[in-house]
Amino acid sequence: MPEANQITREIFLHFPLWMQLVFYAVAGLTSLAFLYGFYRRYLKYRRGRAENRFDHLGQRISRALAAIASNSTVRKSDSFAGFAHTLIFWSFVLLFIGTTIVAIDHDFLVPLFDIKLLQGTFYLWFSVTLDIAGAALIIGIVMMMVRRAFFKLPKLDYTRADKQDGKYDRSGYSTDDMIFVGLILIIAVTGFFIEGFRIAESMPEFEKWSPVGWLMAGWFQGMDADSLITAHLWSWWTHAIAVFLFIGYLPYSKMMHIFTDTFNLIFHDPDSGRHLPPLPPAPEPKEGEKKKKMAMPPMGYTTITDFTWKELLDFDACTKCGRCHAACPANAAGTTLSPRDVILDLRTFANEALKPGEWLQQKFLPGSKWPLAKNGKSSDELLKIDVPMEVIRPETLWSCTTCMACMANCPVGIEHLTSIVQMRRHLVDLGELDDNLQGALMNLGDYGNSFGESPKKRGRWQKGLSFKLPDARKEEVDYLWFVGDYGSFDPRIQGLSRHVADVFHRAGLSFGILYDGEKNSGNDVRRVGEEGLFEMLVEDNLAVLKKAKFKEVFTTDPHTLNAFRNEYPAFGATYTAHHYTNILVKLIEEGKLNFANKLNYKVTLHDPCYLARYNGEIEAPRKVIRALGLDLREMPRCGANTFCCGAGGGRIWMDTSNEQKRTSEQRIEEALSLGDIQYFVTVCPKDYAMYSDAVKATGNEDKIIVKDLIELVVEALGEEEKAADEAEN
Amino acid sequence: MNIIVPIKMVPDLVDELEINEDGTDLDRDFLSYKLNEFDDHALEEALQLKEEGDATVTVIAFDGEETDKALFTAIAKGADNAVKITGDFEEGTASHVLAKALAEAIKGMDYDLILTGVQAADDRDGQVGVLLANYLGVPHVSVVSGVTLSGNTATVHKEYAGGMMAEFEVDLPAVLGIQAARETPRYAPVSRVRQIMRQAELEEVEVGDVDVNVGSEVRRMFTPEAGEGAEMIEGDAEEVADKILEILKEKGVR
Repeated sequence: MPEANQITREIFLHFPLWMQLVFYAVAGLTSLAFLYGFYRRYLKYRRGRAENRFDHLGQRISRALAAIASNSTVRKSDSFAGFAHTLIFWSFVLLFIGTTIVAIDHDFLVPLFDIKLLQGTFYLWFSVTLDIAGAALIIGIVMMMVRRAFFKLPKLDYTRADKQDGKYDRSGYSTDDMIFVGLILIIAVTGFFIEGFRIAESMPEFEKWSPVGWLMAGWFQGMDADSLITAHLWSWWTHAIAVFLFIGYLPYSKMMHIFTDTFNLIFHDPDSGRHLPPLPPAPEPKEGEKKKKMAMPPMGYTTITDFTWKELLDFDACTKCGRCHAACPANAAGTTLSPRDVILDLRTFANEALKPGEWLQQKFLPGSKWPLAKNGKSSDELLKIDVPMEVIRPETLWSCTTCMACMANCPVGIEHLTSIVQMRRHLVDLGELDDNLQGALMNLGDYGNSFGESPKKRGRWQKGLSFKLPDARKEEVDYLWFVGDYGSFDPRIQGLSRHVADVFHRAGLSFGILYDGEKNSGNDVRRVGEEGLFEMLVEDNLAVLKKAKFKEVFTTDPHTLNAFRNEYPAFGATYTAHHYTNILVKLIEEGKLNFANKLNYKVTLHDPCYLARYNGEIEAPRKVIRALGLDLREMPRCGANTFCCGAGGGRIWMDTSNEQKRTSEQRIEEALSLGDIQYFVTVCPKDYAMYSDAVKATGNEDKIIVKDLIELVVEALGEEEKAADEAEN
Repeated sequence: MNIIVPIKMVPDLVDELEINEDGTDLDRDFLSYKLNEFDDHALEEALQLKEEGDATVTVIAFDGEETDKALFTAIAKGADNAVKITGDFEEGTASHVLAKALAEAIKGMDYDLILTGVQAADDRDGQVGVLLANYLGVPHVSVVSGVTLSGNTATVHKEYAGGMMAEFEVDLPAVLGIQAARETPRYAPVSRVRQIMRQAELEEVEVGDVDVNVGSEVRRMFTPEAGEGAEMIEGDAEEVADKILEILKEKGVR
């Protein structure tokens, strides 16, 4: 066995001094390119609007590090890519640590203190770890390359959803992807060649601790000493040049996601989308300054500098993994919207308009003409461009159903929805909205409901019930039922509302409603981008709620539930809010609902976006289904991974003829693909309406029937079934 | 170019209407009011003209329920000035009185074009525009659905029954009764309206009693009464005419 100080490796084996100096000089230049890459990003982000994302910093960092270390967000919903990414990620981390140890050892400890870490047992462990990491890196990269080349995944198709030629060409992205994986592969493979040629010279036994290098050294045994030295030098420099390219190019390429995504995950708000940001406050007029004409502060986002630094970071964080693109119902329906395209177009435009080089130049060399801006437009002109109108376009923005599938599937914490809603706010301000939506908003403003009905008629859905619900403004109740517009006014849904009233009444629940005191909760009004109307609805509702006497709230509408759980608290209203399925579960568990008839239908359940994805309520409806004895067959997209019916975010009020294939119809087909299903169960009034239409539109009335869960509960309860049926008619 | 748009609030038909005790008017105690739809079109046309060229738009309305909100909304949509006429004018005041009072208020103002809605839901005769033009001594065209300005004249399209269209050239200043704006009246975002309510002030013009012949008076207001049944007359034009003549003779018309 050799001495410990002989168990090591020579970094610059057979290198003349000039070559070593060249190495350090190039390394210095590369570092400068690397640092400038970071600096220009910093210059870009600081031109975004301010936003405080530095609260709970410790918690933010630990949450991000946990997600990064486990690769959990990458593995979720794509196990193949997730596995390959985990291999690449961890081997990369180990190799980076290893390289750092080499640098500390070789350039710092040895020359300054004559201490050498990389020898003896430590060297052996170092060597075997890095060899395994290198092999894992190659496996991971090859998996990724095979996936790109042969899997033909729709999410990796960079074709624009809006099929617009000439608008932000995507071929640069594909090239960048290939440079990324290609460089890493070259670095890893040449690393092993260097090791192999070095070991092949003398084949010391301890180098078996570099298993891959040892294996390769075996192949080079036929070569003479001089050829080995030359081959070592060549592979060493190939490796070094690839590494320098990698480092210097990193901040200008997809590789930058290593850093942007780390920061994006740190500054991500896990509740983003569930609640939306308010408008920036309007400046109050000073005393005696009342006048007719006033400067209006912008409503929502107009120019690129209206976006916050976090949103600018969002655009850069995208790795084009395409999960949002594949999950998006608007994209599936064939509209011009793809959340990926929105983010990438904003990134490209931000890079054009916020060119840090040009900014620096104007700051320090005012009046100089170089470098010229692209597209014949100067940065100044680009900074004035109306982004929602010209970069993303209204039709695309209005196609969003705010189902949040994009955000739930994004592995790197991009908040598509807030950017989209902020841009919609500007469209509302410009009056760039379709006539149907405008009519609905005017109704909501005038009457507090989208149906344009008199507020006085809000409680009329009860007509036909044998009892009248207490007015919670006058009478104390345990639960306040916030019925919602569809439950109150839509003739198709009113019958369901009566069923809910009947069932809860029979179970002896103490509950009441607000009658004409209730207005639309505003959840979808906010998502449309009509922030002022949303605020007005909230204020009106809260004024009534504050005077009403109740302990907790329940809703039949998941959109209203989201408003109560996630939007109202910012207005000082913290009510405990339940979905009616939560109340059903409670009543079943308390033994207050005795099902006389066990139902044995085969059913499938559609999870509403605002219930399952927004509010994590996945179990309650399933518990009820099980209690009824139903045979539940799950659709491929279920639970939090549900597929939107297409009604959310105000889409139900809009002209949706730009959808080539309605998502509700796609969903009915998904249910039919399960085979022999009798009932398509919904737990959301909008779903009931959308899917009843979809079954008719696809001509499947004889194959599947849409039922709200409450209808099945009534059927199972049996005895007073007649009363409720009469109520319906 | 100064454009004036008189607007008016009318009862909102979303609630059931009731007749007052006297049986001469609606029971206005529980009514809610909203902007007359045709006036919204007049405002939209004015704003379109403003966006086409150099014009200021002044909206003017009688003080009453919801008037402030409607005026602030008009500013939010792009009107430059909002004027409120105060005085002793109740809801449902006859068109002759309104026209005279409007003329009094507008007389002292600088104007080139006045756009009114062609009629209002609670209007008995749809004459406000006509009378206003008369009091101001300027030309008037009604049932207009397209306005083009050039210099001191306006080219307007007037709709007739049966799909006929006529093109008029009108010397300015003039009063036009707008049937439909070229585009759907625009939306005013609530936050804009609220900002304006906080920041803007409405001009007020007081108009004293106006003494005009009202022209007509409501004797009785009632919901439509079911008739005794109807007879459908069939056949070609000549046959129908003969039968009508016969019926009229039968009923004693000479």
